[in-house]
Amino acid sequence: MNIKITYNYIFSLLALAFLMSSCKEDSIGDVAEIADLGGPVIPPTVIDKYIKDSLTTPYNIQMKYRWDQFEFGDVTKTLVPPKEEKIIPLSRVVKSAWITPYVQQKSLTFFNMYSPKTFILSGSVQYLSNGGVVLGQAEGGRKIVLFDVNNFKTRGTADYVAATDSNKVKEFVHTLQHEFGHILHQNILYPVEFKTVCKGLFQGENWINISDAEARQDGFVTAYSSSGFDDDFVETIAILLIEGKGGWEKIINSIPAGFSANGTSQADAQAKLRRKEALVVSYYKTAWGIDFYELQKKTRAALVPLL
Amino acid sequence: MKNKYLSYLLLFLLAGLWSCSDDNDVFEQTADERVNAALAAYQKQLSGAPYGWKGIIYPDGGGVYSFYFKFNDQNRVVMYSDFAAESAATPKESSYRVKAMQTPSLIFDTYSYLHVLADPDAAVNGGSYGDGLKSDYEFSFSGDSLSTGNITLTGTKNQSKLILIKATQEEATAYGNGGLAKSLLFSNISKYLTYFKRFVSGGVTYEIAVNQNARTITLNWLTGTTVNTFTTDYYYSSTGVSFITPFVNGSTTLNGFTNITWDAANLVLGVTASGTKTTIVEAAKPIKVDVAAAKRWYQAALSQDSYWVSENGFHVNGVDDAFNVNSLVSGAAKYYFYLYWPGYGSNYDAFAPIFVQDNNATFIYLDAAKAPTFSTDGRAIFSGLGVVGDGYPTDGPAIASKNYLYDTNGFYLIQLSDNAYDMVSAKDGKGWISWIK
Repeated sequence: MNIKITYNYIFSLLALAFLMSSCKEDSIGDVAEIADLGGPVIPPTVIDKYIKDSLTTPYNIQMKYRWDQFEFGDVTKTLVPPKEEKIIPLSRVVKSAWITPYVQQKSLTFFNMYSPKTFILSGSVQYLSNGGVVLGQAEGGRKIVLFDVNNFKTRGTADYVAATDSNKVKEFVHTLQHEFGHILHQNILYPVEFKTVCKGLFQGENWINISDAEARQDGFVTAYSSSGFDDDFVETIAILLIEGKGGWEKIINSIPAGFSANGTSQADAQAKLRRKEALVVSYYKTAWGIDFYELQKKTRAALVPLL
Repeated sequence: MKNKYLSYLLLFLLAGLWSCSDDNDVFEQTADERVNAALAAYQKQLSGAPYGWKGIIYPDGGGVYSFYFKFNDQNRVVMYSDFAAESAATPKESSYRVKAMQTPSLIFDTYSYLHVLADPDAAVNGGSYGDGLKSDYEFSFSGDSLSTGNITLTGTKNQSKLILIKATQEEATAYGNGGLAKSLLFSNISKYLTYFKRFVSGGVTYEIAVNQNARTITLNWLTGTTVNTFTTDYYYSSTGVSFITPFVNGSTTLNGFTNITWDAANLVLGVTASGTKTTIVEAAKPIKVDVAAAKRWYQAALSQDSYWVSENGFHVNGVDDAFNVNSLVSGAAKYYFYLYWPGYGSNYDAFAPIFVQDNNATFIYLDAAKAPTFSTDGRAIFSGLGVVGDGYPTDGPAIASKNYLYDTNGFYLIQLSDNAYDMVSAKDGKGWISWIK
């Protein structure tokens, strides 16, 4: 349809505009009334007080344990909140086996500058469709999600079984060291040489199908190490720190004689791991001015009484 | 139509739409004020119930479970749950909050007995890894929750239904005194040695079958020679077992069983049904044999050239996997399941353990069974022709299973669904094997 512009038409438009502008605006009401603005008000419990005093005040770290679905990336996955009785023991370990060694070895300023500020806890692991489970996640250096908190036990917990539960304690500290490692290399990249040590042997998504023992025969410290360069780097850091010098040597010596499925010899695999260790040590020295072996001693010493 | 008129028409139309009358809001308060008022009302209702709440949840994964909740106004809740003996006897405190999500919601925000059902770790609740029993711990209030005495909630993730019913003072006291734990004594019905169990109520004999995983109770009874069947979901309450659907038969009405007692030495369960004390007794055979069931079972597999599978072999005299078939190995190959394959050979059926060898499920040896004889009273009677394959053991689980199968008394077949039958020894009713297809 073709509308001719006439005076009548313009006039009517003007009248319309006049009518519209004469409407008064609706007030949006008192914004302070919005539900949960500023966060829910929950009377603090003993746990809240502990977290505030030992993590939030000194390190500006928030340990969020009350269920909030939207803290978890994938809302389709089934998770459960943590058991309350696990939270203080876990917080203690976070402090003793991760925070304190870094603070003592470097400084509080360094730690508070780079540490992730929010911990989100899930009681269960997150099950993946490929059969794997997620034990930890980090988002943008700000937030770490720790899973499987309900199975967390340290020596001294009533039903602690050293044979199986010591691995779980290590697993938690492993996750912390792993994710913190990511933050460090995202700020200052590790030497390019690190990527070439195991050139051609990376497994990518297939890491789930190989065992740690098989990965070690190719010079990867864990199966997950073989999934990519960055994870290889931080897995190496994490295992070095939680196993200590002695445990690391044990891992290297556990590589059997002969060749891996990919044709890596025992000597080659061992040399690759030692080369990675040396690169990590020099990275900590040159990039951050941290004596890695001292840090390793402190971390391991904090961990041993818990196992 | 001329353009001139059109423009005026437009003006009137739009002016009519936009012209300001008084502010005619549907609600007198803003949305936030109303949300806050609703949250406060729900909070008050939850923590204001002096004797707490009975909760019944229907997880999306099936079954029905009961809880007792006592909320306070400090975001804390104390619970009992009928999921297991321990949670029925020991109260546990955890945290909750009432929060505005997309609708006003009740969130149980630290681990409690309620989370046991939702836990994705199958080892916790017997569900599946990754999903658990598909239950919930984050719920939205249904609209009518404030007007009726009960609160109806719907799970956010799995749409489980949770119904909260105000508890009375007596009920609160009963929960505190271990009433729920006492009700759970009923679960000992699984310790009866016989497959068939009966009780008498109002002069009628009922056969009772309890599926504790699915939480269902089935009653069979006779009128003349016709067998009737009734199935209901059930849960445990502070006083006994409660049926979701009450059972009515003439003048007898059963809402459940109360006063549960368990004699562990003699394996006798006592209940009060419809006001009268009774005991549940063993029975060697079904109240009415389904005479065609044995043939149906056989044909169902034969017609599809398929087979029946049992993971754990025979249950005999109260012992699961009585012959320990799970321990079977053959070289490096490990036991996977037992099967019965009608018409496996040209003139024989196969009864055999299946092993996993090099990631393949395989026969290593098998019992060649004659096609069973179907007696007129509904039993299937098995007998052997010989063995096929290498390394047939001379004793142990395979031999014991075979001997049990070839018992000359034969077996009754109880159909549970199209693809599930229980095969019960006709000798004494104390041994059975569960077949699935």
